Amino acid sequence: MTEDPTLHDEALDWIIRQRDPAFDAWPEFAAWLGADPARAEVYQAMADADRDLPAMLPAAPRPQAVPARRVGRRAWLGGAVAASLVAAGSYSFLSLRPEPYEVATAAGQTRLLVLVDGTRIDMNGATRLRLDRNDERFVELVDGEAVFTVVHNEARPFEMRVGGATLLDVGTVFNVKRHKGATDVAVAEGEVIFNPQTENIRLPGGRWLRTVDKETRLVIGEIEPGVIGAWRTGRLVYPGTPLELVAQDLSRNLGMTIEAAPAVAGRRFRGVISFGRDRQGAVARLGPLLGVQVRGAGDRWLLTDEDG
Amino acid sequence: MMRAVPLHQPDRAAAGLEAVFLDNRAVLLAFLRAHGAGEAAEDVLQDLWLRVIAAPPGPVAQPLSYLYRAANNLMLDRYRSARQAARRDHDWSETRPEAQAATGERALIARDQIEAVRRALTALGPRTEAIFRRHRLDGVAQRDLASEFGVSLSTVEADLRKAYAALIALRRSFDDA
Repeated sequence: MTEDPTLHDEALDWIIRQRDPAFDAWPEFAAWLGADPARAEVYQAMADADRDLPAMLPAAPRPQAVPARRVGRRAWLGGAVAASLVAAGSYSFLSLRPEPYEVATAAGQTRLLVLVDGTRIDMNGATRLRLDRNDERFVELVDGEAVFTVVHNEARPFEMRVGGATLLDVGTVFNVKRHKGATDVAVAEGEVIFNPQTENIRLPGGRWLRTVDKETRLVIGEIEPGVIGAWRTGRLVYPGTPLELVAQDLSRNLGMTIEAAPAVAGRRFRGVISFGRDRQGAVARLGPLLGVQVRGAGDRWLLTDEDG
Repeated sequence: MMRAVPLHQPDRAAAGLEAVFLDNRAVLLAFLRAHGAGEAAEDVLQDLWLRVIAAPPGPVAQPLSYLYRAANNLMLDRYRSARQAARRDHDWSETRPEAQAATGERALIARDQIEAVRRALTALGPRTEAIFRRHRLDGVAQRDLASEFGVSLSTVEADLRKAYAALIALRRSFDDA
């Protein structure tokens, strides 16, 4: 980075001024830029780095919320069927031992849980959640995928666990996926804080984060908020995703075992897969859509590039 | 003269944006060229037009500034894609499928880099860090920051320059690592 210091400082000033929402000196900026081709190069390199800053900045230090371990009643609504109610009565503080239990869905099945505070959990297929009868703030996604629509409570922020990480909501709709040692978080609205005690990364609406167990790297990126949790309406939206991950999603959503052969696992798919009640029909359409051969029968399918 | 669309009617706002685009086509094209778009300038302008007609209806306060900003963002998108393509060509260590993220645009950040960001922010001092956060994350204008923090406008400017310079340099050093 051997940049002319004057040029560097001028570019920096433009970047800072342009952050002002009311900035309107664009003609002056255009004139500055056009006077020397080197300016665009330096400006773009710096402005590009500036664009990543919000994703990099740890959240501002939060006043530590006093853990309010008041246990209220908790109601579950199972799917669209009649409410299956599990009311945990009131417990005194003395009896608050963890009493974990699991709620699971089979592949191809979905289920809606509604907590007593109004927080909704839309569970996708092949999903396991761990909850605690004595602690309504405890939710862990063990495996699978779910959309959390959290009713925010400043005094008692909603915290969930996934793959050893903690997600703290700040009033939110977000999708979490956990499979084969990888965790994906995508925030549609509001804000989630990833690992408030360690990395403390802010994820506002339109941001996603992916982390893989035992890897030091986190990936943070942008996503169209409207497509988050689109699986709830029978759509899977991909901006350029390896077929290996697409196959995992298909298995979970369609209730079948769909795998990508090694030869095509890394191929990227960009587009939308729609599926309705006709699961076999959805599989039949996959080949042309994904540009692969689909081999198999019944509930087991392989995406491959080999002719049968 | 039938195309004279009043800008102040919210339901005509999208049409208003289109009219401002058409009136300022040459200016925007020159801006893209100044940005180094070269022969691709017309293509980028076409891209901008597609965004204009796809823009959600609703009032746009400063239509020309809006268009300049959108054009500026398109050029930064191009810069990013070109860089990523160049990096992919010589960085095959990242091609393992599970390391690939599920989206087009992405930033890679390692845990120790987050720690470096934290140290850089601390090194700025609490006031500079707070002013920078309010400006960069909350989009508060400089003169509002001056009254909010009870300092002069030139102090705000100096703080922002120091903070942006440090963090932009840090972000760029991650790419070189």
